[in-house]
This record gives sequence, C-alpha cells and structure tokens, in this order.
Amino acid sequence: MPTLLRWRKDAAVAGDDPFTAVADDQTIPRGDVIISLGRFQSEGERLLGECRQIGVRVASHEAVETLADDLPRLAVVALEFPKFRDGRAFSAALILRERLDYGAEVRAVGDVLLEQAKFMVRCGFDAFEPADGSTAAQWTAAAHRFRHVYQRAADARTPAFAERAGKAGADGL
Amino acid sequence: MKALTANRLIDGEVVFWNAGAWVERFAGAELFEDDAAAESAEARAKAQVTLLVEPYLIDVEAVDGGVAPVSYRERVRALGPSNKPDHGKQARGGEDIEALMHAHGAARSTGRLSLIRRPTASSG
Amino acid sequence: MYRYDEIDRQMLADRAAEFRAQCQRRLAGEITEDQFKPIRLMNGLYLQLHAYMLRISIPYGTLNSAKLRMLAHVARTYDRGYGHFTTRTNLQLHWIKLRDAPDILDQLAKVDLHAIQTSGNCIRNLTADPHAGASAEEVDDPRIWAEAIRQWATFHPEFSFLPRKFKIAVTAAKTDRAAIKVYDIGLRLHRGDDGALSFEVLVGGGLGRTPYLGPVIAERLPARHLLSYLQAILRVFNRLGRRDNIWKARIKVLVATLGAAEFARHVGEEWEASDKAAVDLPDGELARIRAAFAPRGFETVPPVSRVFEAAKAADRAFARFARNNLKAHKQPGYAIVDVSLKAPGETPGDCSAEQMEVVADLAQRYSIDEARVSYEQNLILPHVKLDDVPEVWRALDKAGLASPNIGLISDIIACPGLDYCALANARAIPVAQSIALKFQDPDLAEKIGELKVKISGCINDCGHHHVGHIGILGIDKKGEEYYQLTIGGSGAEDASLGQILGPALPADKVTGAVDQLVGVYLRERREGERFIDTFRRAGIAAFKEAIYADAA
Repeated sequence: MPTLLRWRKDAAVAGDDPFTAVADDQTIPRGDVIISLGRFQSEGERLLGECRQIGVRVASHEAVETLADDLPRLAVVALEFPKFRDGRAFSAALILRERLDYGAEVRAVGDVLLEQAKFMVRCGFDAFEPADGSTAAQWTAAAHRFRHVYQRAADARTPAFAERAGKAGADGL
Repeated sequence: MKALTANRLIDGEVVFWNAGAWVERFAGAELFEDDAAAESAEARAKAQVTLLVEPYLIDVEAVDGGVAPVSYRERVRALGPSNKPDHGKQARGGEDIEALMHAHGAARSTGRLSLIRRPTASSG
Repeated sequence: MYRYDEIDRQMLADRAAEFRAQCQRRLAGEITEDQFKPIRLMNGLYLQLHAYMLRISIPYGTLNSAKLRMLAHVARTYDRGYGHFTTRTNLQLHWIKLRDAPDILDQLAKVDLHAIQTSGNCIRNLTADPHAGASAEEVDDPRIWAEAIRQWATFHPEFSFLPRKFKIAVTAAKTDRAAIKVYDIGLRLHRGDDGALSFEVLVGGGLGRTPYLGPVIAERLPARHLLSYLQAILRVFNRLGRRDNIWKARIKVLVATLGAAEFARHVGEEWEASDKAAVDLPDGELARIRAAFAPRGFETVPPVSRVFEAAKAADRAFARFARNNLKAHKQPGYAIVDVSLKAPGETPGDCSAEQMEVVADLAQRYSIDEARVSYEQNLILPHVKLDDVPEVWRALDKAGLASPNIGLISDIIACPGLDYCALANARAIPVAQSIALKFQDPDLAEKIGELKVKISGCINDCGHHHVGHIGILGIDKKGEEYYQLTIGGSGAEDASLGQILGPALPADKVTGAVDQLVGVYLRERREGERFIDTFRRAGIAAFKEAIYADAA
C-alpha cells in the first residue's frame, strides 16, 4: 500500500488510506473504493447506493467534467499522472476546484514526484501518493519553497499583484 | 570495435571508460573487440548514476595514427568545436588529437549503437 | 525598463535556492537523471556535446549596463570568456559545470537575471520588438505586456508540464521585428480610433520539422483580457495537445489538426467559462508596469546633427556604417544603433566578455543605459543621440562590433550546430563563416543589399532557415554533412516559408551555390528590388537552374 499524504492546514501529513484502488478487472471488495471513470459510469449508481465511500480515478486523457453531476456524492477524485511529465491533471484539478466547486479530496496518483509538490498544492490537490518514497516533511518543505506567487490558483495564496496593491493601499497610494 | 563513453554528471565533461575508470582523452579509451565485454562494461557504467549521465557504446575504427570514432558526432565530442581550436580536448594537442583531426572517410551518422541497425553479415 | 521589486527578487532567490537543493538531491542519487532532467531544463541547463550549456533569460531582449557586466563576469568566471546570443534573444554559455550552476544563478540574481523556464515544456522567455520604446510606429510599448505575461507565466502551476515548449512574441508595430507569425502565440497590439488597446492574437505558428504561419484566432481582443485569454489558449493546449509523439506535440499541430476556426471555438468556450477577473491584471498593476517603461532621459536636440553629418562627409567608413547600421528613432535627433555580432569570419552571435563590457559602457554613457538583443543575433543601442554616433562607432569599431553589414548577406543567422549541440546533424558555424568571408567586401555586400541568410544544423530550425531569404538546413547524408537550400522565406510581416531548391549539396558546394543565387539576382533584378522581391516576381526556375543545371 503506497503511503498516502494529505494536505492539512498548510502541511503534508502521512496517514492511513481507507480507500482500496480497484483495477477494472478486479472484483470490487468491501469498504471504500476508488474505481476508474469507465467503471463508475457503469456501476457507480449501484455502488453509491451501498454504505461506503466512492472515489473515481480519472485518466489523464479523460475529461473531469464528465463527473460534474456526481461530484457531490464522491469522496475522492483521483487524478492520474501516467508519467510525471504528463501535466493534464493540473488542469483537471483546477477545473474541479474552481469551476465545478468540488470540495472533497483531490488525490494525485501515478508517477507523483516530490519536485512537483508546489504545483500540485497550488492546483488544489490535497492528497498525494508519492511514487518516489518522499516523506510528508519533504512535501511540506517543497510546497513552501516560494515566499510569493505570481498567479491566483486554487490555493488561498495572494498573487503578487494583489500583494502589491495591498501594500500600495496601506501606504495610502 | 567499440568504446564506452558518457558525460560526467558534475561538470559535463566527455569521458571514456577504461577498465572501470573514466578518462578524458579518447586515446585512453578501452577498446572492445567483444560485444559481451562491451555490454557488460556498459551495464556497470549505467549503475554509476551519481557519477555519470547516460553512458553508451560507440563504434570505433583504426585510422592513420590511431583509432577514431566512426561517427562524425563522436569525433566532435572527442575533439571539441571546430570554430574554436583552443577550446575542448583538441587544445591539449598530441598525436592522438592529430589522428582524430585527420580521420577521414565517410562517417556513419550517429555514434550510438542502439540507434544503428546492425549489419546482418559479420562486417563491423 | 522594468525594475524588479522585492517580490520579484525573492522569486529569483527562492528559485536559486530550490535548484541548489535539487542539484544536491541529484548528486546524492535521491532523484534519477530522468526525474532531474526537466528540473534542470526549467532552469536553463542543457547537457550538450562538450559540457553543460546554460541558457540565461533576457526577457524581451532588454539589458542594461549592470546586466551586461554581470554576463561578462559570469562568462569569464565560469565559462570561456564569451557567450552566444540566440534567435530567442537569450544568452548561451557553452562550457558550464553542473556544480557551478547554483552559484551562477545566485550571481545572476544580483542584477535580476535568471535562467527560469528557458527550457522545458513550459512557457519560455517572452520576446518582443527590439525597437520597443524607440520606434515611431509602435502604438504602445510591447514590453509592458511582455512583462505582464512573463510574471503570469513564471512557475505557473498549471502550465509547467505542457505537451511541449511554448513561446510567445509581442509586437506593437506593423513592421514585424519579432517574427510573430512563426510563434506558438504571436501578439500584435492595435490602437482603436477611441484610443483603446487591443491584441491581434495569432496561434499555431512555428518552424522546425513542420513549419506553419500562425492563423489569427482573435482579431481585436481587448488588452485588459490578455492574460485570461492566454490562460484559455494554454489550457486548451495542455488538455488537447498530443503527448504521444514529440514531433506532433506543439500547438501548431493542434491548430492545424482542428483548423483555426474550431481551435478558436475551443478557446472561446474555455474563456467564457473561466473567471476572467481572477486572472486579468487589475488596472493598478498594469499602470505600475507601464510606468516602469515610460520614456525618460530623452533630451531635446535638433533633428539634424551637424556633428553627425560632418562625420559622414569626412569618413567613408563611418558613412557606410551610418547607411547600414542605424535606424530611425521616434525622438528627433536620436538614432537606433545596431551592434553587429557578425564580423565576417567570426561565429555569428558570439560576444566576448570584453565586447559585452564595451557595449555596457556605451549603453550607460550614450544610450540611457539600455541595450537590446534582436532575434537576428545582434545587439542594439536603442537611444543614441546622432551627435554621439561617431564616438559610439569608434568604440564599437575598436571592439570588432561595427561591421557595417546589418541586414546584408554577411549578417547571417546561424545556430551553434554540430560544433556544440547534441541535437544537430551538421555544423552551421563553418558554413556561415565561409559565406560571410566570400562576401566580406563591403561594396559587394551593399551592392547586393538586403539578403537574409539563415542556417540551421538540424530540422529543429533554431537558425530559422525556413524563413530565410536563403535558408540552409544541415542534414546527415550517410555520415557526411550535406546542406539543403531553400529560397524565398521571410520572418517579417510579409512572412513566407522558403521553397526547396533541389537535392542537398555537400559542404564544399554551399558557398558556391549561394554565389550563384546572388548572381541570378544581380542579373534579374529591377530597380528597387531586394533579393526576396526579385525571387517573388521572377519565380524559382532561374535560381534552381543556376545551381542544378551543371550539377551533373
């Protein structure tokens, strides 16, 4: 079972993962599960009626908007990085947070590397399954490397232009 | 005939394998007649991940005055840039550098064995 | 020019510290080379044939004396005492060691220089018209917008792992000195009758294996919506761009596959669904950036300079320099001075540390402390009083920077090629040197007139051969260096892609072939026609025949 890191109060915390990731050709076990988008489309209704938490794994080529109507009932959306260079999940995470108003867990799975911590946190990921053995402490440090940011994103950080305006306001300009 | 080359991680210098050590002059490179020995050296080199970047085997051949890489690109790596004769390994001079500079005859395109389709017959 | 504030400076410092930590992880074996490579690339560090190459960013090609002196210092301390200015207006150092890279970034940060995102599948350095702030024909200073985009693009969390690299160019003049038609996104500023600024947005231009001229997908985007619209384009690209084939991954392929109209529709939909106000810069921030570029330091001087006129009359060489290496300035009595990095026989675009310091001194003393880099691999002193031009010329001449060849046949664009670059198939520098030396006679070069020769050592086309009046592409034919010639390309507002002349030629036939093409032009040309004009009127046949008729 890979380590699961969760992002809580501006820090990464290692913890147990109540979810079982289920491949398409596996029988769905009891308890909380994460299944593929395709499988959710055929079996999701039934599973949601059962007494368990359901998560959906979205491949990098799949459109996260497909889940729009179901999001309120999903405990987790797991966005896949098939190779760390495939940056489509960053867009998917932002769409989930900013456009579709998804408030539950957005999890990074697949080829998930420490050196992308700051991008992932900014895009609204709040759970990570690192593929490189990196620790919660390392993720916390990596995500905090930059004192400022230039753009608005899904995190709460104030972009530089707003900081500057705030300062100017304070100086009575 | 083959030789094993890589770039050193720390400074990017072109280096050549010689019996488990790495040398900066092509003239000091170990020459492999035997494919198995070459591949075994390459495997050992690939394990040296904090020392090197991307070791690979290259074709070499006898030329007047010594040995030279078959590929033009690998000759440039063994010598330095042609527009700055005082930059790169060529600046060190010597007979081996002379031999490399004067190696002639059509060079095969790339030095990397894995990209070259091997001839079906036994020609090297 | 823009002055970095505390926030901008802390960005550079934090980035340099981050990279230092990442290098340590790599050296300790905690990250693999495969994982480290994109990190190293996003900090401008390539592994090339002989050593690492560091590509230092020069945002919109703008430098001042402090920056130039630091570049000279870094070149001297950590490299071989020179640098190479590229077709992307960056500076490359070809002999860098990985262990020095973190120190170099710290040094560069002292003068607000960096190597952020000069490689990797992210948004690269912003380029702009090198005559910005000096040209009478611009409707606004494009660098204001280039700086706004630069900040928005820096460490953008959504767009740091795109299908492929992404390049944006900005101009505000009709004359295109930024080659916007062959960029992933090309932006041209317009001003309406009501004074309102808007952008003409071109998407999907590019060179390389599959060259395209970018179609217009928005005619007049209100300027205040620039960033939100760019976000929409980038998001469509990030989601739909191909990731299975490196040769099909640029946005130009996506635009060509979907068609411009369909692509524009995708972008429009995404844009309308987005929260524009969250992305577009507030007026206050735009005004702050604009203020940094406000023209200052211009003196009121007569439009005609007696000193300048007298110098021309007295010295033929100076008169030739004035004819070829000066451009009109919007401020009366001023000129834009081109600094040629194309002395015949030298490596095009190379500049020694000493030369950088000469330009730094001249910029500080005579050009309101500004210098520029153009994508044609030359430097520019943008704001020189005509009165001072003779003095500037003497200093440039002494430093080998005054070849009177701007835009002429020996003002060649050439990539580093197989002498340096791991991607190359053939050398470009010796070809450039040979042609430049053949036509080094300044009378001959002026007789021929404007002729843009562009040479690339491989299909990636960093030398822009597709848009050369004469383009030369190095290929590998059975291990030998061969060169394919094209004719009739242009990277300016009259953009066109060159046509292939015939089978590739061996290296020793290239200069002779160029000579024959020139011969056809001189024979066929009519009054006022440049090489490219004669080709466009007369067609390819005569040019083809000149080279290949006796190629039996």
